[in-house]
Amino acid sequence: MSLLGWCQWLEHTPFALSISESIWLFPLIEGTHILALPLSVGMIVIFDLRLLGLAFRDGPASLVMREVVRWSKIGFPIMFVTGVLLFVTQAGKAYGNAFFRTKLILLLLLGINAVVYQLVFYPKMAQWDLARRAPVGARVCAGLSLLVWIGVIVCGRTMAYQF
Amino acid sequence: MLLTFVQWCSNSDAIVYIRDSRYGMPAVQSVHLVGITVLLAAILVLDLRLAGIGMTEWSLLWLERQLKPWALGAALLVLLSGVVIFLGSPAKYLASNPFLFKMTVLCLAVVFHFGVLRRFVTTEPGARWLRIVVAGVSATLWFLVGWAGRAIAFVP
Repeated sequence: MSLLGWCQWLEHTPFALSISESIWLFPLIEGTHILALPLSVGMIVIFDLRLLGLAFRDGPASLVMREVVRWSKIGFPIMFVTGVLLFVTQAGKAYGNAFFRTKLILLLLLGINAVVYQLVFYPKMAQWDLARRAPVGARVCAGLSLLVWIGVIVCGRTMAYQF
Repeated sequence: MLLTFVQWCSNSDAIVYIRDSRYGMPAVQSVHLVGITVLLAAILVLDLRLAGIGMTEWSLLWLERQLKPWALGAALLVLLSGVVIFLGSPAKYLASNPFLFKMTVLCLAVVFHFGVLRRFVTTEPGARWLRIVVAGVSATLWFLVGWAGRAIAFVP
């Protein structure tokens, strides 16, 4: 079976149909997906702004990471589960959609970006923790994160117009 | 009078261009959503701190000062994009129950924020239970605005 064939099959499984045909289940899942944005992406944005030296400047960066980013660990699982459910109900339509494909690529980039930050810049955070902004490499990570997350939101919102 | 003005705005070249172009409204809706993400994140941070369940390393006053320019900037984005979305099809929105509900709850949320929550920010008084209630009401009101906004697409 091709990937497209699989997506179309997925969209028509009884499980997927029970969501897309329910008058309240689909809006509930979609609404949760959108309203979990502040708790997931919003928290990361605050940390990005701290690294860039644009907010929370007069405190240690590691404290922002500990206090703020930890709430995104509640937000992102909600995003992931609701996102997968939304995909399952519209997999056939999503497959060929340029905005959906772009969104997936951007999410992959964000994953790589986060791993790079964890491996390269996180271990040395103590050295610049109190600096008003992070060293240039970490700032590049933060700037990328900010821009690409905006791209993800734009793709997600635009995608919904095309189904 | 007001309706005539709304109609005039709604038929202006800029709004017509956005309404008729393929990616006009999705772009404006995207700006709306990016703004909501930042604005509600700032509100959540304050509510979590006020309730004492998160961000406890900082004082409420310090947090508010740090977040203020970003929250106000985001609020401005949300407001401007919201006005453009409304002007895109004013008749549809004025006839929509969720939209009218959204505007009502939005007014309540703004009044509650500046009338009640801000007092706790500047003085940090009150019993723990009271602060939890105020934080809970704040978060509920703001997220209810969001849910009502979502409902516009699904409920007449």
